[in-house]
Amino acid sequence: MLRYLTLGLALLMAGGAYAQSSGIPPEEMDNSRRLAGDAINVCFDITSLGRAFDEDVARAIGDALFLEVNVVEGFGGFPLNGDGFLDELTLAMNNTCDMFMGVSVSTNSPVSDAFALTRPYATIPFVFVVADPDWQKLGDIPKDRKLGTAMASLGEMNYITWAQQQPEAERWVRYPYANFDLMTTRVLDGTIAGMVLWQPAFAHLQQQRPDAAALRVIANDPIPNAEVHVGALVSSRNSFLRSQVDQAIDALVADGTIAGFLEKYGYTGHAGE
Amino acid sequence: MKIDLMKSLLVATTALIALSAPAQAQGVKADYVPVTDEMLASPPAEDWLMFRGAYNNQGYSPLDLINKDTVGQLQLAWAWPMAEAGIQETAPLVHDGVMFLQTNNNIVEALDAKTGDLIWQYRHVLPQLPTSWSYQINQARRQKNSIALYQDKVILTTADAKIVVLNAADGKVAWEKQVIDYNLGYSYTVGPLIADGKIISAISGCSIAGTAGGCYIFAHDVNTGDELWRFNTIDDPDNQAQQDSWGGVPAENRWGGTPWTTGAYDPETKTTFWGIGMPGPYSELIRGSGDGSVLYTNSTLALDVETGKLKWYYQHLPRDNWDLDSPFERILVDQEVDGQTHKLLITAAGKNGIAFGLDRDTGKYLWSKETVVQNVVTGIDPDGTVHINEDLVSQAVGEEHLICASVSGGKLWQAGAYSPLTQAYFVPLTEACNTVAPTQTEFTAGNAVGAVKFGPRVLPEGITDAGLLQALSINPTQGESKWQMRERPSMTSSVLATAGGLVFGGDAAREVKAWDQETGDVVWSQRLNAPIGGYPMTYEIDGEQYLAIPTGYSNSASSISSAFPEIPLPTGSGNSIFVFKLPKAAS
Repeated sequence: MLRYLTLGLALLMAGGAYAQSSGIPPEEMDNSRRLAGDAINVCFDITSLGRAFDEDVARAIGDALFLEVNVVEGFGGFPLNGDGFLDELTLAMNNTCDMFMGVSVSTNSPVSDAFALTRPYATIPFVFVVADPDWQKLGDIPKDRKLGTAMASLGEMNYITWAQQQPEAERWVRYPYANFDLMTTRVLDGTIAGMVLWQPAFAHLQQQRPDAAALRVIANDPIPNAEVHVGALVSSRNSFLRSQVDQAIDALVADGTIAGFLEKYGYTGHAGE
Repeated sequence: MKIDLMKSLLVATTALIALSAPAQAQGVKADYVPVTDEMLASPPAEDWLMFRGAYNNQGYSPLDLINKDTVGQLQLAWAWPMAEAGIQETAPLVHDGVMFLQTNNNIVEALDAKTGDLIWQYRHVLPQLPTSWSYQINQARRQKNSIALYQDKVILTTADAKIVVLNAADGKVAWEKQVIDYNLGYSYTVGPLIADGKIISAISGCSIAGTAGGCYIFAHDVNTGDELWRFNTIDDPDNQAQQDSWGGVPAENRWGGTPWTTGAYDPETKTTFWGIGMPGPYSELIRGSGDGSVLYTNSTLALDVETGKLKWYYQHLPRDNWDLDSPFERILVDQEVDGQTHKLLITAAGKNGIAFGLDRDTGKYLWSKETVVQNVVTGIDPDGTVHINEDLVSQAVGEEHLICASVSGGKLWQAGAYSPLTQAYFVPLTEACNTVAPTQTEFTAGNAVGAVKFGPRVLPEGITDAGLLQALSINPTQGESKWQMRERPSMTSSVLATAGGLVFGGDAAREVKAWDQETGDVVWSQRLNAPIGGYPMTYEIDGEQYLAIPTGYSNSASSISSAFPEIPLPTGSGNSIFVFKLPKAAS
């Protein structure tokens, strides 16, 4: 067991040290096997934008596998540089969680090989949102206007990648935002012409802010679309659970359950990959 | 029935009290001698009153009973297991025969410095943080640096962004102050400095979304806790050059600039000096600041302690793209050369390990000296302008570069020491590189928490030793290598210089060592239970000199342990204090 722990720590350290480099004292790691019975602990990042949607999916997976789902609020609130994130994720997965929902499934996933990603249960796009009724697509916006992007998101990276391929005069200046409420305010007060954010974040804003009714989604052109594949994280050592969850996701995609959840929450995109 | 109910209530109440304040053998230090302003300005040789011993942050003790001739006779006087697991970065203080020890999760212990007996323990009751604030929980586990002593009080800063003032005699809370809202993400990770009747403190957590636009150095009245001033390290309305350096990015879209090492203080000019950390996000591609230098990140700030106004700044690493923070110890040095007093500020400021000499009255650049392998700075002009290697600035998402030093240093929090005896600056360092690439490292979908991907720490090409203790010979015109000590394991503790002609420090191999300041020869070593950590210090009681060595869990050991696989690290933390002294006859 200690060998596994050492391996786990080594993997963590390989990718996990940031500004004020951290780490996990070994005493923090629970060495005992969980008495799972017919239940699984399903964890959530409570700051996750799709938190309620993810819980519905988790309960559906549990029903499909005849497992009781224990909902565990995982963690959240990490700095933009990810300081401490992998430490806490490793602790949560080692000590508490059988499955962690709402994870972005991508080749650039920052998690270590100690964890495995399930197949995606939904694919949901980033959207471009403006207040000005005259604009039908991003390309209609004058280049001297500024844009906002959801900090460090796939949508932001998508924009940066496109922008870096253009002459400077053909790009919009972009400011990164970590607070979507603030970014919305800045679109409404005209500081920025529009914003790139994940569609569930926009759906949430529309529910929370009456003034967001003045906002609408327009086409991304000339920027290509960006979509996030949403899945879950399981321990790499529990390949049985992973294969069972993957089969359950396939079934829930096929029978329309996931599509129903997307509709329930007003999310665009589609079930599965 | 009523009586039974009352009994039950009493039992329940007692249980609640017991739960809310774990029972400890609480004692009292009778007739505790207050720490005066005069003592802080000129610390008694037998004490260790603050973070690095004195306002100048030199990490130097004038005690010399333990010296090159006697150090070989050191014996264990006592040892103490620390109260909490966590990363070992403690800085013990000693005054009036009491050792004050801060451990993780803001626990403070007062021990009899002669015997190691516990006098009292204070356990800060942190709020039960919601799971949405896991970062603070993470930070509390690695609370580091020092507490401060003033008059009859012990002053600490906490993970929930409070200043807490304890009675030094019994550890009871005198008063506490919520400095800033921890719910935004702010958290103290470094200890305060007491200067000019003020508590000078610096907040961390400045990379969390909610802290956008503000990272602060504060001054509070030491008696009342009233805030007197605050200086924002990333938004200075008095300096247009600072605003312009962010390339048009508004303050509300800026992050970083954390001052995460306790500053120095010059009582003569009433100036406090602080080092500042990296900008956020790390990559300019993402933060939108173009080729701007993003002031005051990676700078030294000289602040008027009375007003909090900036006197000068010097930027050690402009346009940081690699998380190469520059907040580390600023050391104040006075040197007489040809009848003239030179007032220097020396520092190995940042993770890239480059040492600097500045005029501390003006901020004028005097000299610099590379220590570890680094590739991010290509040159420094005679006027102090630092040129970065633009080839290492990623121009596309995913564009990866090998950066030296690594995100774990190079230089890290482990503080160097300056010895007036040999006019040398001793700096603990690690040789390491890592790849860095801006990337869309989303974890929770649409809710990214990282924008740069770091590769594993590796040794620079051609180097087989991770550990380096660099001795620099310092004067107003240069800092040149006096000697170098290289070894396989990384250096994991700060170092202590003494008038006994010795430098003490230790490594990932659990060896605490004493080096001859002149030659770098190892004149004493002792293997302990865990990597040497924190801030070694020394003190004297009843004519005997003691040497205190913290040990415990070290990220500076684990982050590059693959470079010395023949030295296995312990799997337990073992956070402890070991105190050595000479046999009676020898001292």
